[in-house]
Amino acid sequence: MSQATELAAAAGSTDPRVGLRAVRALRRLLERLEVVQVDNARRQGWSWQEIADTLEVSRQAVHKKHAGRPAVNSSWEA
Amino acid sequence: MFERFTDRARDVVRRALEEARVEGQRPVGTEHLLLALLADEAGLASRVLADAGVRADDLRERVRRHTASGGAGLGDADAAALREIGIDLAAIVARIEQSFGPDALREAVPAPRRRWGRRRYLGGPFSPRSKKVLELSLREALRLRHRHIGTEHILLGVLREGNGLGALVLTESGVDLDDLRRRVELALRAAA
Repeated sequence: MSQATELAAAAGSTDPRVGLRAVRALRRLLERLEVVQVDNARRQGWSWQEIADTLEVSRQAVHKKHAGRPAVNSSWEA
Repeated sequence: MFERFTDRARDVVRRALEEARVEGQRPVGTEHLLLALLADEAGLASRVLADAGVRADDLRERVRRHTASGGAGLGDADAAALREIGIDLAAIVARIEQSFGPDALREAVPAPRRRWGRRRYLGGPFSPRSKKVLELSLREALRLRHRHIGTEHILLGVLREGNGLGALVLTESGVDLDDLRRRVELALRAAA
């Protein structure tokens, strides 16, 4: 079995525990990625509206979720 | 709520509090109750667990896998789950750190989601689930017509609740929860 089909097989595992656990982990990862990317956008001067448009959510939703965080660390230069 | 607990069972609860304290600012979870039960080596619960092939250090390691966080702030168990659907968490961490600096993902802690309409957990010493386990241990004792709540009833509570991290690591270590429940009841009958 090629690697791709092995992965496809795992992704299609019929054991709900395997699948749901993966969804949960994915959600955790997603939440963190969103924090990283929203902070980066803000550092680069994006408005909440621009961020919201790109994420295809409302400006209020993005603002409510991310505006309360302490100021992002901008010392890192990529 | 602890009036009916035997001295042994009280010690187990105390040890669970200690387990949670050592781990940091966390309320007592079902996994702490389970680890505390195992530490009480002479107790009925820990003897049944040992007979069923459960080892304390193995369970402790499994709990750590679920609670400890790696480079992404996600646990090893999360990484394994993502691997199951073809996602290489390490590769994602490497790519993000390359762009945004070391520990960028680990430090990106999402704010806790507010759930309106649900009463907020005010951080007593016990998690809602472990509180449920303690309530169920009382119910198990009543069902078995026992006047006191011992370590074995706490274990039955963990098994009856069935969804906590305690029950999860037991299942992971290859234990069948129903079989374990039968073993506890058998041991109780033998002791009676």
